[in-house]
Amino acid sequence: MSITEYNGGCVIGMAGKNCVAIACDKRYGAQYQTLATDKTKVYKMHDQLFIGLAGLATDQQTFYERLKFRLAMYSLREERLIKPASFGKMVSTLLYEKRFGPYFIEPVIAGLDKENKPYLFSSDFIGAPLLPDMDTNGFVVAGTCTEQLMGMCESMWRKDLEPEELFETVSQCLLAGQDRDCLSGWGAVVHIICPDRVITRTLRGRMD
Amino acid sequence: MEASLEIPKGGFSFDLCKRNAWLESQANYGSSSIIKKAKKTGTTIAGIIFKDGVVLGADTRATSGPIVADKNCEKIHYLAPNIFCCGAGTSADCENVTEMMASNLTLHRLNTGRECRVITAVTMLSQYLFRYQGYISAALVVGGVDSTGPSLYTIHPHGSVDQLPFVTMGSGSLAAMAVFEAGYQEGLERQPGIDLVRAAIQSGIDNDLGSGSNVDITVITPEGVQRFRNLDKAEPKYKSKNPLFYPKGTTKYYDEIISKVAIIEGDAMEQ
Amino acid sequence: MPSYMPGPGVDVSDPALGTTIMAVEFDGGVVLGADSRTSSGSYVANRVSDKITYVSDKIYVCRSGSAADTQAVADMMRMYLGMHSLEIGKDPEVPTAANILNQVCYENKNYLMAGMICAGWDERNGGVVYSIPLGGGLFRESYTIGGSGSGYIYGYCDANFRKGMSKHEAQEFVKNAISLAIWRDGSSGGVIRTVTITKDGVEREMVLGDKLPHLAKGWCP
Repeated sequence: MSITEYNGGCVIGMAGKNCVAIACDKRYGAQYQTLATDKTKVYKMHDQLFIGLAGLATDQQTFYERLKFRLAMYSLREERLIKPASFGKMVSTLLYEKRFGPYFIEPVIAGLDKENKPYLFSSDFIGAPLLPDMDTNGFVVAGTCTEQLMGMCESMWRKDLEPEELFETVSQCLLAGQDRDCLSGWGAVVHIICPDRVITRTLRGRMD
Repeated sequence: MEASLEIPKGGFSFDLCKRNAWLESQANYGSSSIIKKAKKTGTTIAGIIFKDGVVLGADTRATSGPIVADKNCEKIHYLAPNIFCCGAGTSADCENVTEMMASNLTLHRLNTGRECRVITAVTMLSQYLFRYQGYISAALVVGGVDSTGPSLYTIHPHGSVDQLPFVTMGSGSLAAMAVFEAGYQEGLERQPGIDLVRAAIQSGIDNDLGSGSNVDITVITPEGVQRFRNLDKAEPKYKSKNPLFYPKGTTKYYDEIISKVAIIEGDAMEQ
Repeated sequence: MPSYMPGPGVDVSDPALGTTIMAVEFDGGVVLGADSRTSSGSYVANRVSDKITYVSDKIYVCRSGSAADTQAVADMMRMYLGMHSLEIGKDPEVPTAANILNQVCYENKNYLMAGMICAGWDERNGGVVYSIPLGGGLFRESYTIGGSGSGYIYGYCDANFRKGMSKHEAQEFVKNAISLAIWRDGSSGGVIRTVTITKDGVEREMVLGDKLPHLAKGWCP
């Protein structure tokens, strides 16, 4: 078993029309033993920008603390909120800095830019960016069930989903995907980022 | 602890090497599975010199293990207005090494007040890769036009350089080279040149499992650069006639928080 | 490199100059010769490579071993010789060049895979050939051969080398020897390149793969 799969968990990001979703499961385990069922992996960086971190939990925490610090320094220096694209670069460089001794995490970033266009980003654990084509593949996935999630998204995603449609699509993709993975599950949390509000919903899922 | 809170000075950090080595020494998770997950560009990249310039080509598949991680990634990177670079190998390395070189070359241009030469870029790249003894796994095809005319180089991950009129790299390089060996002539015109590179990349896409999807082409001449993104597109393999979608209310949820976004005067994310 | 260095690492085989190289002194100069194959595993990465590299106006080196290492060493040598000739205000001498090459190869012997031949012409020594083998070491020879293909042609070279050959004789000797090595050695091939250095200057010559001298008569049709 790979070290990235030690704690389990998955994250998914999906683009809609002037809205974007990011969701994660809630399991935290040590290999096949479940230790907690309320471990969410998506963090809010500012009102319109969220990051999900899949992978080794210890590195998720360390990396998140480092990100918070870097973001605070950025906000103090620049006196403005960070643009999602710049944040993507920040995450990418932070990971690549540890190219030869990496954090075992895979990040997913979802945000709205100032024109309310959705921004999605994901990368591998050494910061190789993946920016999906919003017209044909407006989704990114990470974690222990990427294959399943990718398959779900590939068939269920379509362009210009409205917020409520986006919620249903991302939720069903995530639930269906994680139900085929022993290391993810125990409910889910979905954030739908809209220009004027963020809807956060906690889903019912299988508890096994 | 203090070290990790510092603003990075640049360069690599080896803080986690010892910990990761220990993690890998634990019986259950072998190192091979960790390594495999890094995103690779199992790639076909190629370039030729034609009558008045250089044509570079690349496929658009990025893989992580057996999974196609990206069906339409860009592998032809900008180095300078007159120099471009195709990258194969570990995707993070290609991305970062070309980006770093692009900024170093910008500084070089500002310092010298001259257009960059291709050999300058190649020397800087190969010295950087040589320093890391192949551990930065980027295999590059560098092409451009400068005061000495068109030129084309390949750089291997260990830092060795080859200069040739037609080159290929990546896992599909054999398939692409076969096309070049059969069809390359000296003093090729522009369109036949583009078509030859297209055919070479297509051959990589068809015959190499690590390469796939679309063909990207960049043409560099003294007159300027033309970039063709997805010049040849793979037709979509599957499209549902009756697309499914979930009606509202499908997903049961037991908690909802709606947080209003604070509207700040002006653009919060404005420059 | 610390032994605990893990992470995505080397997975592409280092292009190597599985090679035949040689250099021969003659009356008034030297001839350097090499095949042109660069291989990466069993794939020919470059079939027309130039393994005879310029380091100063009348001194060249033949490279064998790792392509990356020998190119880097030749680049360093070119830099050192350039600075040296600026300091002394004239062209560098061949023993100086060979000494620099030996120092670079010897001091970095644990990190390099480079077997080199340094040859050239200078005012004081005339045409001179030096061999710097894998771990370093400096050997003046009247002719020397190197690379994986050299094993096949020691006998031929010993039998056919004479001191005081003419320029033409030396060139033919080099071409014949390398073509024989190309016949037998799988990692030598392509064309034969030669560089002839005399007091009058440098001549480059190339023999195409289909124009190689036919010495292996019992073998080929």
